[in-house]
Amino acid sequence: MERARQGDKRAFGQLVDEYKDKIYNYVARMLGDPYEAEDVTQEAFLRAYRSLPRFRGASSFHTWLYRIASNLAIDVMRRRKRGEPTFSLDEPLEGEDGEFEREIPDETFGPEEASTTRETRIAVRRAIMDLPEKLRDVMVLYELQGETYEDIANILDVPLGTVKSRLFNARNRLKEVLEELVEAGEIEVGQ
Amino acid sequence: MTCEQVREELVACWACVDELTFEVVEHLEQCDACRREAVLLRHTRVMLHSSMPPLSAPVNMAERVMSRIDEQAHSAGWLPRAREWFVPRRQPSWARAAAVGTALALAVAGGALWRSQRPDQSAPPSPPAVVADAGIDGSAARTATLDGELDELMLQHQRLEMTQPLADDAGVSLVVYTSR
Repeated sequence: MERARQGDKRAFGQLVDEYKDKIYNYVARMLGDPYEAEDVTQEAFLRAYRSLPRFRGASSFHTWLYRIASNLAIDVMRRRKRGEPTFSLDEPLEGEDGEFEREIPDETFGPEEASTTRETRIAVRRAIMDLPEKLRDVMVLYELQGETYEDIANILDVPLGTVKSRLFNARNRLKEVLEELVEAGEIEVGQ
Repeated sequence: MTCEQVREELVACWACVDELTFEVVEHLEQCDACRREAVLLRHTRVMLHSSMPPLSAPVNMAERVMSRIDEQAHSAGWLPRAREWFVPRRQPSWARAAAVGTALALAVAGGALWRSQRPDQSAPPSPPAVVADAGIDGSAARTATLDGELDELMLQHQRLEMTQPLADDAGVSLVVYTSR
């Protein structure tokens, strides 16, 4: 880390290797698009490299990097709101043989959990993408990225209580979406 | 405990059995609606993870980042490079202040030098520039000041050209010079 701060590019390359999956996953989950996430992740590392001499170490490097990525992801989401074209995880891709679905590997769960239908996964993903930015950010960082409350408070520069209340609201919203899916008969939930 | 209190507890821990208090568990055993809520929350958590599985960053992500860093270093314009040279990275604030001070001193010295090279403004004005017109009829050259009269001369010249067609070898010249 210190060598990277001194301008050692090889040392910075090692940092990129170490954090690329974490940041890429975070951005992809925030944006809902792995391809756009690739560009944003690269840009986050470029900005980190340029700003590294000004990094004072008041927070950990990974918190600082998350903050850069978070700001960039929010910029992209705001551009989307202004109507600029973007991609989505659920949109089919154009190939030589016509359209095809994006394949997202599920490496987390066994067959019983993975048996949720594609439609259900898409519905849940849409529900996550429909969450307000602030709720989604906390949800992704805590539930999916495994960050602590304290780190999230540092990344987003908000009090700890705000992190907890946003997480509570995000969980509630997702639960409501699932409830609607159950009521519509799209999924079954056993007792 | 009320249903509302129980549901708050459930959301706070995704209804995780290990984290529920005795009071909440007792309530769930008696309340169908809250029990259903707990099941729904557990499923929501599972759905969340299965809908957003971890992805691996593209294989050559690090290489691409490093090559973009190299590209930007090479394609940086002269201004950032000059800035880097003049105010290199990681300089302490006093060194930056010294650099800015040096730049200002150089600017002041340059300005003073330029002023010293300029002609003395208090000296008497030089004689006005004159224009000699060697007319096509060989008449004596007329003189005029540059301001305004030059335009008049040009107009007269054009009129002469239009009204008196010239021979191929006829030399027409308009000589402008200044007396120093």
